[in-house]
Amino acid sequence: MKTIVAITLKGIFRDKVFQGIMVTALMFLFIPIFASLSMRQVTELTITLSLSLISFILLLLSVFLGGTSLWKDIERRYTFSVLGLPLSRRSYLLGRFGGTALFVIIAASVLGIAAFCVVAYSSSIYPSDRPIVWGSMILCILFDALKYILLIAFAFLLSTVSTSFFLPVFGTIAMFVTGGVTQQVYEYIHSPASKTLSPFLKQTATALYYIIPNFGAFDLKLYAIYGLPLPANGLLMTSAYFVVYVGLLLSVSSSIFTRREMR
Amino acid sequence: MVKTVFATLACLVLYGILIVPFTEYLHNRPFDEKMGYIPSVTALRIVAADHKELVAASLVSKVLMYFGGLSVKNENDILPILPDYKRMSGILHGAVKLDPYNMDAYYFAQSFLTWDVKQYKLANDLLDYGMKYRTWDWMLPFFAGFNSAYFMKDYPKAAEYYKRAGELSGSELHFSLAGRYMQESGQTELAISYLSAMEKGERNPAVKKNYQIRLSAFKEAHRIELARDKYRQERKAEPATVEQLVRAGYLTPAPVDPYGGTFYLTPDGKVATTSKFAFGGKKDNSQNDGESHERN
Amino acid sequence: MNAIETVSLSKQFTGKKRARVEALKQLDLQVAPGEVFGFLGPNGAGKSTTIKLIMGLLRPTSGSASIMGMDVAQAASRRVVGFLPENPAFYDYLSAEEYIRFVGSQFNMDASLLNRRTEEVLKRLDLWEARKRQMRGYSKGMVQRVGLAQTLVHDPEVYILDEPMSGLDPIGRALVKEIILDLKKRGKCVFFSTHITDDVEKVCDRVGVIVQGQLRALDSVENIMRSGIEGYLVQTRQHVGNQAALQEFKAIRSNEQFVEYLVPVAQFQEFMALVGESSVEITLLETKRRDLEAFFLDIVENGKSA
Repeated sequence: MKTIVAITLKGIFRDKVFQGIMVTALMFLFIPIFASLSMRQVTELTITLSLSLISFILLLLSVFLGGTSLWKDIERRYTFSVLGLPLSRRSYLLGRFGGTALFVIIAASVLGIAAFCVVAYSSSIYPSDRPIVWGSMILCILFDALKYILLIAFAFLLSTVSTSFFLPVFGTIAMFVTGGVTQQVYEYIHSPASKTLSPFLKQTATALYYIIPNFGAFDLKLYAIYGLPLPANGLLMTSAYFVVYVGLLLSVSSSIFTRREMR
Repeated sequence: MVKTVFATLACLVLYGILIVPFTEYLHNRPFDEKMGYIPSVTALRIVAADHKELVAASLVSKVLMYFGGLSVKNENDILPILPDYKRMSGILHGAVKLDPYNMDAYYFAQSFLTWDVKQYKLANDLLDYGMKYRTWDWMLPFFAGFNSAYFMKDYPKAAEYYKRAGELSGSELHFSLAGRYMQESGQTELAISYLSAMEKGERNPAVKKNYQIRLSAFKEAHRIELARDKYRQERKAEPATVEQLVRAGYLTPAPVDPYGGTFYLTPDGKVATTSKFAFGGKKDNSQNDGESHERN
Repeated sequence: MNAIETVSLSKQFTGKKRARVEALKQLDLQVAPGEVFGFLGPNGAGKSTTIKLIMGLLRPTSGSASIMGMDVAQAASRRVVGFLPENPAFYDYLSAEEYIRFVGSQFNMDASLLNRRTEEVLKRLDLWEARKRQMRGYSKGMVQRVGLAQTLVHDPEVYILDEPMSGLDPIGRALVKEIILDLKKRGKCVFFSTHITDDVEKVCDRVGVIVQGQLRALDSVENIMRSGIEGYLVQTRQHVGNQAALQEFKAIRSNEQFVEYLVPVAQFQEFMALVGESSVEITLLETKRRDLEAFFLDIVENGKSA
């Protein structure tokens, strides 16, 4: 499995994905200029823009790397040669996933460093009213990365059942959007405002809430931007949620993948 | 090959021809169009996914750009265009629903909701909402205190806000302001000091300009007040009009209202202006649920 | 213990409109260690399906398969196998050397052995010059040779090669044959599929012919060659001895110098006796046989009509 992780990482780097990220990351250079338009919160705006840029890049990475990794291997017939080795399908899948996840972490770290530089620069020119809590920023980027790793696990699940890349790619995007609003929908249907909704609809929505990954929990931007105290307990639970959910997705994926016919 | 080169050249020429009117068109597009269509906050929340703060910031910047562009345009225009304050306010309200911590939104809303739109209640509700989140920020209660005292004449409420501002900032000034706003006298002076402070801290040119205009109007009003007081003291009589003060040599040069209005004295001797300290104030500035805007 | 064994191995695919396609029917096959087995069949006969079933890439609808006594459902069964898929493709962002090393690492080879073996196989398959280049720049033949190299690197007991000669030029094909013969010499089991009979004839011990998912023939190449003898071509010198004694055998050719007869196997003894009696001089004796190609074509024809 370790070698598959290494091979996956090598593949991503050799496909010049990292260079692509670096080109996109040039946008960091414009952040201080744009943020200086803010009246009262230049630093906060710098952090907002930096974190959103990182988040956006990671989203693209997870959708395209996660959604196409397995598909490409099958499409280009790499699976025949690799799965002919004494390697279980499960460790192959986990290796592919691990490599992709690791790349997301590497990308997040590099982008995070770039963000720190931009924020430090911005706040040196327009000192901030609020203290900049670097630890919160690190945690925010980390949880962002976790969120996208969860999304990648989802993309892998879709890849194991699909023969084209449409389902994994678009399914992943749809899941990302849905997973971002489940909390709001849940709160809405459990509020008096939803009296008019049919009980069936409510039950379906509640059921979906428990099935669909909850990405809202991973969003710590607000805490990082405004230096709010982080809810330690919540973070702990979110981490546990991450581990359990990813574990679930991966075990379902690998059992499907193990049964999959390589025609 | 020759064909391709020819086609490329043709396209470049066409682009050159097109780009000038195209830019012209976009540049001269009505401002309202420029602010563009903003989907409902609920829709935005869904689309924004984990970029709510970014979307909120972009909404604020959209309003700011609109306002900035308008103020530049107004400088060169004889007939100033009134900003669409209602929509600006709506968008800023949407922004703080996405990101209740966005200070720019509160700050900017405060800058026009009170003086220009006279929506004091709305302004303070927005500030109250902000205070629930920005619990460390002395500025929000400071604004709310000013609004309560200056516009709504709700002095106990103002004192409460100022006390909170004082607790948060640790500044004696805010505590003392709480006391000073209890009385109506000296409000012009206090408004001037408030505006001076705001103007000084402002970096956005459009908003800064806004403060500067207001500040100069109040300085003019203050000049009239001083002249009136001197007149009273020396002549032991009430001046009837501003012109009287000018003619009597108490007021040189004659005061100019930067909002285009004319200063006058109310029957009880307060200084007021036909512009009501706002552009377009001569017309009926709708949604006015505040009280009268005459200054003493 | 058989190197490769299948027991009633069957595979059905669900095709379009839920139509069931029987790709492989009840295949029973035993390949012994040290044996070179040729798996012949026309395109689409089920050769690749069989190989994929043995490699665990497909799951049998019924029946089972094992390698060296280990069920193929276990990944460990592939520890002793070098597998070359049909028209192979390998991670094209890796170089040949990296890929060979990757394969070696999957077989837990130790570093120094892997170094030595990697160099050996790359040189053997004439990839040494290109070893540092990414495989995306390789020709089809080079990729095929990488495919062979990666089956050899860990020196397994069993080789399963799906169309090993395809995509190779004559030099490459000769090299592959040489390699297979070498493996045979070293007592390795080689199971390979092909639709080219010539390949089989030269290197195989045994051959199985599969047509439309069914095994139609299974025999040693030797037996096939023997059973393929149709008769003997006997050339005799004209005007020597009593040619008339042989008149019951029809001459197929006759000229000033020679008379040629085609003698069926059953009558050969009788013919030779007559030759002795009549003092006819034999100038040439040739075995007349159908080659494997004809054998194969026959089976395919019969298989289709069956």
